[in-house]
Amino acid sequence: MKSFRKLVIANFKQFFRDKTAVFFTFAFPLIFIGIFGLVFSGDESVNYQIGLVNNDDSAIGEGIAQALNQIPIFELSEGELNEKLTALEDGELRAVVVIPANIEATIAAGGTAAITVYHDPSQTTSAQIILPVLREAINEINRQLAQQPVLLTLAEESILSQNLRYIDFIVPGILAMSIMMTGFFGVVPLVEWREKKVLKRLGVTPLRRSTVVFSQVAFRLVLTVLQATILIGVAYLVFDVQIIGNWFLLFVLLLLGTLAFISIGYLASSRVKTVEGAMPIINLITFPMMFLSGIFFPVEIMPDFIRPVVEALPLTYLGDALRQVMVEATPLHPLGVDVAVLAGWLVVCMVLAIRFFRWE
Amino acid sequence: MVIEVEHLVKHYGPIKAVDDISFQVRQGEVFGMLGPNGAGKTTTVEIIEGLRTADSGRVTVLGMDVAKVPAAIKQKIGVQLQSPSLMPSLTVDELLDVFAGFYKHSLPISEVAELLSLNESRKVLVKNLSGGQLQRLSVAMALVNDPEIAFLDEPTTGLDPQVRREMWSVIERMRRQGKTVFLTTHYMEEAERLCNRVAIIDHGKIIAMDTPQKLIKKYFREKAIQFELEPPPSEAVLRTFPGVTNVAIDENDVVIYSDDITTTMSATLKFAEKEGLTGKLKDLHVRQATLEDVFLKLTGRKIRD
Repeated sequence: MKSFRKLVIANFKQFFRDKTAVFFTFAFPLIFIGIFGLVFSGDESVNYQIGLVNNDDSAIGEGIAQALNQIPIFELSEGELNEKLTALEDGELRAVVVIPANIEATIAAGGTAAITVYHDPSQTTSAQIILPVLREAINEINRQLAQQPVLLTLAEESILSQNLRYIDFIVPGILAMSIMMTGFFGVVPLVEWREKKVLKRLGVTPLRRSTVVFSQVAFRLVLTVLQATILIGVAYLVFDVQIIGNWFLLFVLLLLGTLAFISIGYLASSRVKTVEGAMPIINLITFPMMFLSGIFFPVEIMPDFIRPVVEALPLTYLGDALRQVMVEATPLHPLGVDVAVLAGWLVVCMVLAIRFFRWE
Repeated sequence: MVIEVEHLVKHYGPIKAVDDISFQVRQGEVFGMLGPNGAGKTTTVEIIEGLRTADSGRVTVLGMDVAKVPAAIKQKIGVQLQSPSLMPSLTVDELLDVFAGFYKHSLPISEVAELLSLNESRKVLVKNLSGGQLQRLSVAMALVNDPEIAFLDEPTTGLDPQVRREMWSVIERMRRQGKTVFLTTHYMEEAERLCNRVAIIDHGKIIAMDTPQKLIKKYFREKAIQFELEPPPSEAVLRTFPGVTNVAIDENDVVIYSDDITTTMSATLKFAEKEGLTGKLKDLHVRQATLEDVFLKLTGRKIRD
């Protein structure tokens, strides 16, 4: 117990004397939050530039154009088809809506007038946001033209206790990222000690190996809690991000997440000989995970083929769990599933790390 | 006997690193283990320290079996390893304190720092220490638990002569205190001066073991004539001189071993005069054979090769 305590204290002394490590641990996540906070603060309404080509000179064509103009997220600009299509190809427009000629005559003759939408399917927002909105608008116009009465309406009630802003979404994500990094880098001192023969030196003392590992893990856990405290504090004071969830659950998730990523880190670096060799492995795992696990962007906007990968990553579950607990965001998975998956990663990686970790 | 090694064998794949070694170290002696790199001395020492396990054979330290109770043994031994870069952002005091925490019984930090002349650097971060200070710190770490046996692995390598002498006096003080010291070294002069007994190890076997004086006497009744000459003379010519038993030439260093030093010396001087080399023989002197000579004779190698 004496050697455990002294090793943990020694870890802290070493850590706080290393200014680079301190910066990356505490300032880096805050910078991330600052960037996202500034970029997405203020007017959070989104506008899509839509081109409109109106080939109909009747009142119906004018009515459709007006109806589209009233959609708050669309910014319409009228013009010729060729000009608008070029703008679409150049990325200046998100979609081009073409109202056909002679709508009145077509309808009078019992036909259907087709409104054409040109869009770029590789732009996920056009498929997922613009098209449904247009479809809804056209349905509404249809109903009015046919003079059908409204029989059913959809009443929207938010189940969230507050409106979730992007900053509310991003703070738990950044926290998840910090936990991943702090946990993952937990193995680095041990790799360094292995490389520099410190472990060998410790091996000739009565100190047990488990004490070495536990002291490292304990240090990381305390570090995560410190990191989270600062991060949540700044998010609250600067960006008014309210933590509305259960603090105890949050604490449990911090510990579970850190332990899970520590064990993944130990497994990933179980055989590397040098810190230089460990770094690319750590980056290779953490970077894709950071962008694929929906901690910066909602998982929903990711293309379908990548979803199985997303569903396999532990960070997805940590981010989802933290979001649920901290800001009561809509769950991707029930909290129990998130916790179970994280615990699964922890147990499996720990068992494998114990099996494969090379002390020398 | 504080260390007993019986029929120790260790293979690394097809290589026999330690090939049936047996020896004993007595309480209170400074025991030296000498050998070229790769001779098996590091492996032997690491098995005794409990860092490695032997393939076969038995090692007891302070009466305890290394294979059975390594933790109990580690409480009572101190080990210095070559240049470990330990926790660079701690101060000397903090590092020694961490290490003292590993043991049930330890000396006050001030006492250890005093012993190794580290008093002035106690508040200095380890990463800012000089090479000599680091070396002394690594020995200090080995002594922090006031060990019954101290294992010192080339403790003076890389030290300037002044600091080396200080280190020697530390070891001599330990010997006076009745501590046992297990020393590996590259410096024959050091072994000759400090060790009660030395074992010379090569190709995994002990090829000679005794006090330095007895080893020298056993292998060299003769004395040595030594000089520098550029370019060196032919070995074959030197061997024709009367009384010569052996000749060793290393670059420009020439050593002629002789059991009749007077006649060999006069032959050497005549040779030099005849060849017009008299003024060119540098540092010509007669000396006793040393442990270095024994080592060279037994292993065919200089120790630093």
